[in-house]
Amino acid sequence: MNNKIITAALAAGFLASASVAFAETIKVGYMTTLSGGAGIIGKQMKNAVELAMEHKGGKLGGMDAEVIFVDDQRKPDVAKQLANKLIKSEKVDVIGGIIWSNLMMAIHKQVTRADTLLISSNAGPSPLAGSNCHKNFVSMSWQNDQTPEAMGKYMNSAGVKSVYAMAPNYQAGKDMIEGFKRFYKGEIVSEVYTKLGQTDFQAELSVLRAAKPAATFIFQPGGMGVNFVKQWNQAGMDNVSKLYTVFSVDGISLPALKDTALGTISTQTWSPDLDNAINNRFVADYKSKFGGYPSFYAAQAYDTILAIDHAVAKSGSKDTAKMRAVLAAGGIPTTRGSLQMNSNQFPIQNFYLREVVKDSDGVVTSKIIDTVFENHGDAYAQDCKF
Amino acid sequence: MTATLLLEQVFNGLQAGITLFLIAAGLTLILGIMDFVFLAHGSQVMIGAYAASAVTIATNNFYLGILAAIPITFFCGYLLEWLIIRHLYRRDHMDQVLATFGLILFFNEVIRITFGPAALFSNFPPSLAGFIEILPDTPYPVFRILIILVGLVCAVAIHLFVSRTRVGAMVRAGASNPEMTAALGINIKILFRFIFAAGATFAGLAGMMIGPLTSVEPGMGEPLLILSLVVIIIGGIGSVRGAFIAAIIIGLVDTIGRVMLPMLFRTFMSGPTADTAGPALASMSVYILMAVVLVFKPTGLFPPKGA
Amino acid sequence: MILDLLKKFTTLWVILFLLALFPIFTAAFDLPFWNDVVMRIMLLGMAAMGLNIVFGFGGMVSFGHAAFMGIGAYCAGISQYYGMDNGWYQLLISMVTCGILGLVIGFLALRTTGIYFIMITLAFAQMLYFFFVSLEQFGGDDGLIMDRSDFIFIDLYEPLRLYYLIFFTLVFVSIVLMLLIRSRFGVILQAIKSNENRVEAMGLNPLKFKITGYVISAVICGVSGCLFASWQEFVSPDIMHWTRSGDLMIIIILGGLTYVAGPLVGAIVFLLLEELLPDLLHVVFPSIAENWMIIFGPLLIAVVLFGKGGLMGVVGNRLTRPAARKDQ
Repeated sequence: MNNKIITAALAAGFLASASVAFAETIKVGYMTTLSGGAGIIGKQMKNAVELAMEHKGGKLGGMDAEVIFVDDQRKPDVAKQLANKLIKSEKVDVIGGIIWSNLMMAIHKQVTRADTLLISSNAGPSPLAGSNCHKNFVSMSWQNDQTPEAMGKYMNSAGVKSVYAMAPNYQAGKDMIEGFKRFYKGEIVSEVYTKLGQTDFQAELSVLRAAKPAATFIFQPGGMGVNFVKQWNQAGMDNVSKLYTVFSVDGISLPALKDTALGTISTQTWSPDLDNAINNRFVADYKSKFGGYPSFYAAQAYDTILAIDHAVAKSGSKDTAKMRAVLAAGGIPTTRGSLQMNSNQFPIQNFYLREVVKDSDGVVTSKIIDTVFENHGDAYAQDCKF
Repeated sequence: MTATLLLEQVFNGLQAGITLFLIAAGLTLILGIMDFVFLAHGSQVMIGAYAASAVTIATNNFYLGILAAIPITFFCGYLLEWLIIRHLYRRDHMDQVLATFGLILFFNEVIRITFGPAALFSNFPPSLAGFIEILPDTPYPVFRILIILVGLVCAVAIHLFVSRTRVGAMVRAGASNPEMTAALGINIKILFRFIFAAGATFAGLAGMMIGPLTSVEPGMGEPLLILSLVVIIIGGIGSVRGAFIAAIIIGLVDTIGRVMLPMLFRTFMSGPTADTAGPALASMSVYILMAVVLVFKPTGLFPPKGA
Repeated sequence: MILDLLKKFTTLWVILFLLALFPIFTAAFDLPFWNDVVMRIMLLGMAAMGLNIVFGFGGMVSFGHAAFMGIGAYCAGISQYYGMDNGWYQLLISMVTCGILGLVIGFLALRTTGIYFIMITLAFAQMLYFFFVSLEQFGGDDGLIMDRSDFIFIDLYEPLRLYYLIFFTLVFVSIVLMLLIRSRFGVILQAIKSNENRVEAMGLNPLKFKITGYVISAVICGVSGCLFASWQEFVSPDIMHWTRSGDLMIIIILGGLTYVAGPLVGAIVFLLLEELLPDLLHVVFPSIAENWMIIFGPLLIAVVLFGKGGLMGVVGNRLTRPAARKDQ
């Protein structure tokens, strides 16, 4: 899918910069899933990128910018073909986006080998943070294990005695529980792996109720999260156990859950109420322009554009090596504050504890109630040698 | 696993199975009587769920949603048969597969454009959000009990209709010999249209009932389509009784297998292996069951006579 | 005999000829990206042609053939994981593995017919998919990154080597198919499709022929998968998901399932549509550009309703006699 956007402000920018001769244009290829079941995530990310471009007046680091959106359809071979197209046909300077770990794994080698900067807006599989890292890959999101690590640490220090853990039976699910166990040292009552794409969890909830664990930790992304939290609520499970989640309640699932998710706890690197100038502007403008709160996917997509802007501005060029040197040095202004970078070019950032509440307009959203980790790096950085 | 827990899982399995039956019933009739491979049956489930949710959101009344959605689903099924399906009866199965696959894509996109790609909000109405203690110390959602009851009522109704009424007899006659039935003055075309629309309505009813339980989103019908195909294969194509029994079996196997297999594996295997082997096997269990049945009974458990 | 084959399968030869020259065209117009698209077309077309032995000519609707493609790919990936980089050995391993698996699955599945057969092949495909998803050592569903295989005399990292490796494999497969269809075996297979009882009455064992056809088609899909792994430089269970089998079937039906060239034509059209339809829609109707499948769906229906025998039926029969006709 191919979509060239030249924002309205670009025209103004053109005229305004007529006196300043910046002949170069920077081309950004942005890849997400726009069609199919998970299209809503890609849509939010696309919205965020367009908003970022609007905020930046259509320029990145002073250069005129062109963003080309492509739709990977959540298929690795389509993603690979699109990456090829962006590099060889469109000759982009940066490729950003990518939601899914397996797609990132599929295109990582060819993009980095072609000496094009690859910035992840979401996917963060451990091989790319550790042994398979590459200097042309920068993450503007997180490493997959970190968010559950934060939940593990919180539950450990909060003195939670026993936990019942549930995640879908695929790589990400296993990573989440691994990460959780890295920091939670209490008793794991049970580790249950549900079927990927499962819609009805009543059977698992029945077993859970019989086990009566003090706490339940879940990772159920996308539609699975909507189903699980809803059924948890419908089965009155809050009277049995306390629910802790990662990546299951967010700006995407909350509109479908509404009140059934109230009180659910999660950890995340970002929250709509994170108080800094960039985030406040981002959330306010996103709400007024697109109706509804942005999700963390959108925030990370927004940050990706900010990162490119920062890299070009500071280095004064769109050369890959120069841009990445700037990014590797850290201090990138984002919706999460000034972002520092680890040696493997993944962020070192705070992780917050959040609760689902109703805002003043009665809309359900997440709110920060505590900071779990400050400046937390990932567990794979030491394996990364460029 | 205690006896109480096991019994509770039986309820869960029953509820899952009954829902599957509602979807499979229409499909087995369409496939068995009209010999039509209707892959877009999952879309009928989606249409029912969306119709009910949309009306419920608009009127803030769950019952109104269901009441309105039933005729809407029937009408959609009727329209679909009249516009497209009836032209495809004469085609071979491959063409039907292709065409109905195209229909799935089309319906998913129409829903996506009309309602957006995000899931719709749907939940139990407050009047049905309570619990019944079906077993000691086991509160069970009233809504799920209701699903079981509605499903059983429908099952009985379909059975009586097909086996005891004149129209039911026409349906069965039309299946075995359309030309002869037409020669007897029975309008086969209208009959088929009616069967199709009825099948769609039952599928839509299933969608309306699981909508509040799960998420109402584009493409929600496809996983159920696969499962219901498995059901009618095991049950025997064209046999409603077979579909019922197979649906209950699948519901029970899938539900109980999902929770018991990992537990079973953990008793004689070490932690990490058991944790992945159990669920992997559980997700395959339904397919393994089907493969086993087909190896011993290649036309299913209860193939209708003369099939 | 070559002349005979050329006459009977003109469309296929024309397409192969054009494919051979395509890189010259892209070099002249500086469109190197399109070589990648065409490689993918050739790979999927190859797998579809393999499937078509049982699907179009044998009348068996198998939902499991993407699984064979996946197994071929994993044979390459897993071999490389254990340090065995030799592409020729990997091809051999793929062919043998798919052959054995094809034999086992075919033997079990071909006891059934019609929709039952469809479902049991689906079941096997799902089982294999879930199996590979649970294989953590090879990345599970995150997949396995790999390098292009080492084909000894051919360095796949040199430009266009991979293209022509795939191309000549495609030519080889095409010739195998052309010979197969016109051989005694092929004729009997098509006879089984139109009337199995008659064939049995002639004293032949239909099951033997069906299984043989199934095994050959599995091997071809495995070969395609093995090369696919080198093209994608990545293997994951996605390749073997049952919806991919559906894609292969759509490709075949689009192109025309009773024609040897059908699957290749279908692959060309299908992948070009996938590439160009969103762009087109964006120009014409931007607000629903993401929903390009809303055009694709009805397009498939239209092909069925109005385009008898797929695209080859519309266009091709002026150039080629179809290899077999469906029973009227």
